[in-house]
Amino acid sequence: MTDRPADREVERSTWAPSNESGQPAWGWILQAVTGVLVLFLLSFHMIANHFMVTKGLRDAASVASWFSNPLVVVLEVTFLVVVTWHALLGLRAIIFDFGFSPRTERRITWILTVVGTVAVVYGICLTAVIVSRG
Amino acid sequence: MTAQESPVTEQAQAPVDTHATSGTGRHVRFRVSRFKQGDQRPHLQDYDVEIAPATTVLDALTAIRRDQDPTLLLRHSCFHASCGTCGMRVNDKEALACVTEVSDLDCDTVKVEPIANQRLVSDLVTDMIDFYDRFRAIGRPLLRQSEAFPDSEVAPGVEEHRRYESCIECGLCLSACPIVASDGRYLGPAALAAAQRTVAEPRGGDTFSVLRLTDDAQAAWRCHLSFECSEACPSNVDPAGAIMFIRRKLAGQRVNSIFGRRS
Amino acid sequence: MTVREDRTSPRRRGVYGWVDPRGRRLGHWAFILNRLTGLGILLYLGLHLVVLSMLATGPNAWDNFVSLALTPVFLAMDVVLIFGLLLHGLNGIRVTLVGFGLVVDRQKALFVSLMVIGAIVLVVASLHIFEVG
Repeated sequence: MTDRPADREVERSTWAPSNESGQPAWGWILQAVTGVLVLFLLSFHMIANHFMVTKGLRDAASVASWFSNPLVVVLEVTFLVVVTWHALLGLRAIIFDFGFSPRTERRITWILTVVGTVAVVYGICLTAVIVSRG
Repeated sequence: MTAQESPVTEQAQAPVDTHATSGTGRHVRFRVSRFKQGDQRPHLQDYDVEIAPATTVLDALTAIRRDQDPTLLLRHSCFHASCGTCGMRVNDKEALACVTEVSDLDCDTVKVEPIANQRLVSDLVTDMIDFYDRFRAIGRPLLRQSEAFPDSEVAPGVEEHRRYESCIECGLCLSACPIVASDGRYLGPAALAAAQRTVAEPRGGDTFSVLRLTDDAQAAWRCHLSFECSEACPSNVDPAGAIMFIRRKLAGQRVNSIFGRRS
Repeated sequence: MTVREDRTSPRRRGVYGWVDPRGRRLGHWAFILNRLTGLGILLYLGLHLVVLSMLATGPNAWDNFVSLALTPVFLAMDVVLIFGLLLHGLNGIRVTLVGFGLVVDRQKALFVSLMVIGAIVLVVASLHIFEVG
C-alpha cells in the first residue's frame, strides 16, 4: 500500500459484509440449479400430462394408470420437491430485498421451510394414494 | 456607472439564460424538487425558463437560482461530465445535468429531482457519505487515483501516459439500482465496479482481500441483473458487466477448489 | 452544523424502485417481470396442489373438474399461465448464464431472442390448447 493521501484518510466504513455463514453464494447458486432442473422436469410434466393425451387432460383413470409406472412417480415427486424449493427460495429472495433484521430473516427462512416441507409431504401422500388406487 | 452611483433597481425581468435568447427562445416549465430540513417530504415547485437550443438542465437550474429563486440548492462543478457532481433524476431518468440538453428531452415540462437512495440534505443536494462508505468497506479505499504508467509504450512525441479511472463517482448507478432502492445492505454497483477494476488491473495491489469482500451475499451475489446501473452510468464504467466479471471469477474459484486446482 | 452531524436516513425509493416503469429500460423489465411471473406461478402452484386433492377424493370429483377445466375461460387462463412460465423460464436461462459471467456483452440480444422463442412456443401451445392447429 502506498502512502498516498487517500490511503491515510480511510475511516471505518458503515458498510459491513453480511453475517451469513458458509457459502455466501449458496442461495443464488441453488436458484440457478433448481431453475435448470425445473426447466427439464416441467417440460416432462407438461408433455406427459397435456400433450400426450387426446383431450389435453388426464381423467382419473388415466392419472392412475400413468402413475403405476415407478419412473413417473420418481420424476413427478422430484419435480414437486425441486419446484417447491425454487419457488419458496425465490419468494425468500424477494422478501429479503426489503432489508429485515437477521433475526427476522432467520424466522422467515424457518417459516418458508415449514411451508415447503408441508407441501412436499402433502404431495407425496397424495401420490401414494393415487398409486395405491391404480 | 461610477462608484458613487447606486444600481438602478427595476422590476424583475423575464428569466434570461446564459445563451442569450432575448425573448425568442422556447419556454419550458421546470418542476424542481424542493426540500428543506424539517419538511416532511419533498415537493415539486414550478419555474418558467426560456431556453435556447443548447441550454442544458444545469444552465436552466442555475438561471432559476440566479433570476427567480436563490434558495434553490444544487451542486455542480466542471460543466463537462468529469466531476460527477451534478447527478440528478431528470424526467425519471438518471443523468448529469451539465450535459443534458433540454431540447433533447423533447417536452414542455422537465421534472428535476435529486438522485435517489441517498440522504437528502436540501432540494437537489444529497449527502454522499453512504456512497463513499461503500468504497471503504475493505479497510482501504477502492477508489484509485489516476496514475501515469511507468512502463507503458509511449508513442513518439508523447511525454507520458496517464490512466484515468472511468468512474466519476456521480452516484447515478446507485440511484438507478432497484436493489439499492429497497435495501441499504447491498454493497452496490459503484463499489463493486471499483473492486472489479482492482482485480482486473491490480497495479501491485492486493486482489485477494478485494475478491473476498465481493464474495458476499450482500455484495456480488446480490445483483438481480436489471442492468440499470450500466444504463445510467455516464462514464462507460458498466458496473453490471463488472459484477458479472467478479461472479465469473468467484464461480471459477469454487470450481477450482472442487477439483483441487490452485485458483 | 456539518452534514455529518445531522444525518437523516437515506431516502430509498423502496418498492417504487422496482415497479415504477418511468425511465427504466429492457434489463429492468426483465427483472420486474421475472419477479411478477415468479409470484404468479407460486400462487398457481398453491392452487394446483389444492385442486389435485380431488384425485384422492374419488374419480367423480376429478372428472367433474376436468370438464370444468376444458371450458374456454379456463383454457384462456392456461394460456396466461404458459405465458408466465415461458417468460420466467426463458429469462431464467439468461439470468443463469449472464449471472455467472457468460454472454454478458450480448445480454440484451440474448433476452430478446429468448423472448422471441417464447412467443413462438406460446403461439404453438395456444393453438394446441384450443385445438385449432
